[in-house]
Amino acid sequence: MKNNFVRQLGRKPAIITVKRGLALSKSWVVLALFFTSLAILVANFGNAFLRDVPGNSGISVGTSLSLLSIALTVIAAVMLTTSVILLYVCDKNNGVLEYFLSLGMNQGDIYKRYLKAGVILVSILMIAVAVANVTVGLVLKGDVTVPLVATGIAAALSLSVVSFATMAMMTFSSLQKQTAWANQPLGLVLGVLLAVPPYLTPLILPFVGAVAVDLAETVVIAALSIALFLLSSRLISREKLLP
Amino acid sequence: MHTLELHNVNSGYNKKTVLHDVSLTIQEPSIYVVLGPNGAGKTTLFRTIAGILEPYSGEVVFDGENVTSSRDVRKRINYLSHYNAIPEEMTVYNALSFYANMQGGSADEVVALLHLQELGDKKISDLSQGQKKRVSVAKVFLQERDLYLIDEPTSNIDPGYSKEIRDILLKLSKDRIVLYSTHNLYEANDIGTDLILIKNGTIALAEKISNIKPREYRIGIRTSTDISKIVDAKRGEQGYYVMSVSSPEEAGRILKKLIEKGVLVTEMRQLENPLQELFEPA
Repeated sequence: MKNNFVRQLGRKPAIITVKRGLALSKSWVVLALFFTSLAILVANFGNAFLRDVPGNSGISVGTSLSLLSIALTVIAAVMLTTSVILLYVCDKNNGVLEYFLSLGMNQGDIYKRYLKAGVILVSILMIAVAVANVTVGLVLKGDVTVPLVATGIAAALSLSVVSFATMAMMTFSSLQKQTAWANQPLGLVLGVLLAVPPYLTPLILPFVGAVAVDLAETVVIAALSIALFLLSSRLISREKLLP
Repeated sequence: MHTLELHNVNSGYNKKTVLHDVSLTIQEPSIYVVLGPNGAGKTTLFRTIAGILEPYSGEVVFDGENVTSSRDVRKRINYLSHYNAIPEEMTVYNALSFYANMQGGSADEVVALLHLQELGDKKISDLSQGQKKRVSVAKVFLQERDLYLIDEPTSNIDPGYSKEIRDILLKLSKDRIVLYSTHNLYEANDIGTDLILIKNGTIALAEKISNIKPREYRIGIRTSTDISKIVDAKRGEQGYYVMSVSSPEEAGRILKKLIEKGVLVTEMRQLENPLQELFEPA
């Protein structure tokens, strides 16, 4: 029996949290995979077949579609990490967070645990997206440069958005007075709202402008999530993590 | 030898004070039963001592170190919440390994200690409430600590397993302080040496259980003879002849009198727990 735990869940707390989250809700994983596939398809289909079709903003329809995949990838990342947010709520409600506190952890340690899990999940997803984009691009005999640039921006933006949404959701969940399981709609809305600019930029801005706006959004959201994380221990008392 | 001190502790939730100016010093290793009506503040007391709740004022000190600010001293405390706090999606063995991974200790050892082998591969979500409680209690025994705060460990658990848990705690209490909360007065009387009674967020009584004397003793005598003409007893509940006496010695004298009259007494017992009076309104 002993080896099962290590084999199934590993030893590192963040990896254990990732695996527990995925085991808790598979439907979000399926939805995330659907949006990821859609993003890969959009990025490469446009780039392979519509590269020479001129678009409204001075860049080709193919390039616009590749950049549009950024927004789809961010949504996929938010959906994938919803499982970690759900796990946090579940652990709060059944007393696991209280147990963590009793081991000498503080609020920041606990938030870090779930945040790290979200970041690991997104990182795995982004590596898979990059590999898939290169593979599909080569199969379709398209130029893989634009899809790879889009993947890079999507990775940075997804990490920022997911960090912010996870921190915001954990904060919100900690501040709830009543036991609630359905926090995921708010987390998703937050994630989807933050994915709106990358939807619009390829349609109204030239390539460099679109990339610049997406990167600027990444930096702002990353700064916000870092601030939220650093302030979490002061803003939220330990009692808010109790069932 | 360890020392737990609470100095004028005020603590609670959402700025609402539950514990009011609680002061307490415990030095002798033993089991201290924490009793009190629902909502009296037992769980708040445990959470504050464990460092989970930060007191609004006052301090909790264990072996000279402030529990709220010292992470190291909190790691020397073993707290069992009345919430099971076990990941429902895991098997029993994996859940205990999960805890062992976090706090140290061996899942194999606690599985053997609490005879959980037959549950090892079952999912927590498939267990009964009592079985879940046993798994939850098991995590407290993963690693020995200096102070134990045990909140209702035997609720929903079969008597046999409850006794096993009490026996382990009794062993641990030989050189450690164990605070043990229960609603079961017989269990309290059975396991504890000292009593801490909490009412309305204050310590109403802290006393050796052996020093707690009830105002009167109601005793039940089981016999096939009508003894109402010999002693002042009436046929009462569960087939007993029931009467009130002022002390255990008086009960002994009555028993002697009945035997001298040739009555065959098959059972004589105290009908109420001596701690019952503590729960009665003043």
